[in-house]
Amino acid sequence: MQKNIKLKNALFVPKHAYGILKATAFATYKEWAAYRSHMAVSIFVGPMYFLIQVYIWKAVFSSRGTINGLTLKQMLSYYGIAAVINYIVFDFADWNLQMHIRTGSFITFMLRPMSHRFYALSQKVGHRMLGFWVEFLPIYLLFLFVFKIPLIPVHPIWAVLSLILSFLMSFLVNYCVGMTAFWLTKADGVRRMFSIMNSILAGAFIPLTFFPAILQKVFFFLPFQFITYVPISVMIGSYKLGGIEATIPQIVFVQALAVLLMFFISEIMWRLGIRKFTGVGA
Amino acid sequence: MTSGFSVQVEAVKASLYSRMAYRGDFFISISLTFIFEFITPLVTLLIYSNGSSFPGWTLYQVLLIQGVFMMSKGIAFMFFYGLVGNVLGGVQSGTFDMFLLRPRLVLFMAIATGFDSEELGKFIGGLILFIVALIHLPTPSFIQWIQFILLMITSLLVMFSFSLISSGVVFVWVGCSRVYEIFDSISSFGIYPRTIFSKGIQNIITFIVPIVMIGFFPASILLGKNINGVLFGVISSISFVLLSLCFWYWMLSKYTSAGC
Repeated sequence: MQKNIKLKNALFVPKHAYGILKATAFATYKEWAAYRSHMAVSIFVGPMYFLIQVYIWKAVFSSRGTINGLTLKQMLSYYGIAAVINYIVFDFADWNLQMHIRTGSFITFMLRPMSHRFYALSQKVGHRMLGFWVEFLPIYLLFLFVFKIPLIPVHPIWAVLSLILSFLMSFLVNYCVGMTAFWLTKADGVRRMFSIMNSILAGAFIPLTFFPAILQKVFFFLPFQFITYVPISVMIGSYKLGGIEATIPQIVFVQALAVLLMFFISEIMWRLGIRKFTGVGA
Repeated sequence: MTSGFSVQVEAVKASLYSRMAYRGDFFISISLTFIFEFITPLVTLLIYSNGSSFPGWTLYQVLLIQGVFMMSKGIAFMFFYGLVGNVLGGVQSGTFDMFLLRPRLVLFMAIATGFDSEELGKFIGGLILFIVALIHLPTPSFIQWIQFILLMITSLLVMFSFSLISSGVVFVWVGCSRVYEIFDSISSFGIYPRTIFSKGIQNIITFIVPIVMIGFFPASILLGKNINGVLFGVISSISFVLLSLCFWYWMLSKYTSAGC
């Protein structure tokens, strides 16, 4: 059994990967579509938060033309892009996984002929497909036409690539957080800690260039900037952090390397964590 | 009244005992709640440390508003915002019926049993911010402190209204845990000085949905700032509570049991 589990999950790409992804994503889509009105809350909440940012930064910029090299228009673009990116990459793999491990229902996934990580990723694809038209699209159009925020990427192809990598990075980080339940059983504390770190260090609340230079250098080596800050920079067309300036292809390449590294970290955590898992019944 | 108080005390004790079963997790959760609440002050600090400011407001004046807001939110979430969770979970699972069967007011029981000790972190965070800000500001007079306490009561009334509205909504919008986000997004207008908003929004957040009563007005009293509209704000807050109460009971009447 143990050997089978390892075989099934170590760098395992199922034979019918596309079919599994499609079926899981579709089932998740249908499941969450029943709660689409809950998801649609974002259409109210997102613009409300953004409206506050508009007033904050209009007040702050009233006495200055630029702050940290950003104009008011660029600052509002930053927040607008940050908001819409969130609707594409949003993830709760950590909550799902820790819940399955804690309740023991995770054992049912061990019996399935596929990697749980791939299954969870497929679920996220389905969930975000629903989020695309219920959350992303209305808010994108609202920002574009009501708030007049330029949300057209400077380099569309690089932006799409960066968004895909950001999508994967947020999933892998959250999946690793969820895996801490193999050791801790109740991983709520770790989840909340990572959620706070992600809120601050990904650059969703304020551009990372507002932090002291030494902290920016530290942030460069953390995975969080690759979830929000990097895709925003790619959409805006320039990247700078902690004195490091990179062209768009360069930073997307670094982002890809970071995703690859995170994948291997998740693989190591899986191999170590699965040995700790004990489930009774199913 | 006395027995109502003892019910509240027993509910608080029961909540603390059950939470103490996982002491480590409890203290981690309080600490994380505490840290999470510092995100907004951190953003404010970063704005000021980059040489920018909100016109007419110093860093510590803004932090004072945010500290008062956090304290009010901390008290509210500890003592009566659990109402939302009780209604949300109870209606979804069908266990809300138990509140209807108890020999007390439904609203009172749903509030009393919703005590949440983890939210202490919010209050402590707000208190620390409040004290730090006050140390860097001129000392308020005795009269200002009295006015501040009165406005803090009004602030809690507004928070209570929000808990009534949020919990009322989930009687019909079953299982929608995102009501918290709706509250957060609306109340965020109260974390910053009112003067940064347009006149229209200022009027809305003072007279219609009196969000400025949560943090802005109590802090402004201590700062000796201009508090135009405070009296109307208080009247509006009282009206807001009464309307919220009517709304809650109206929504309760729409509750259809799912059985237990």
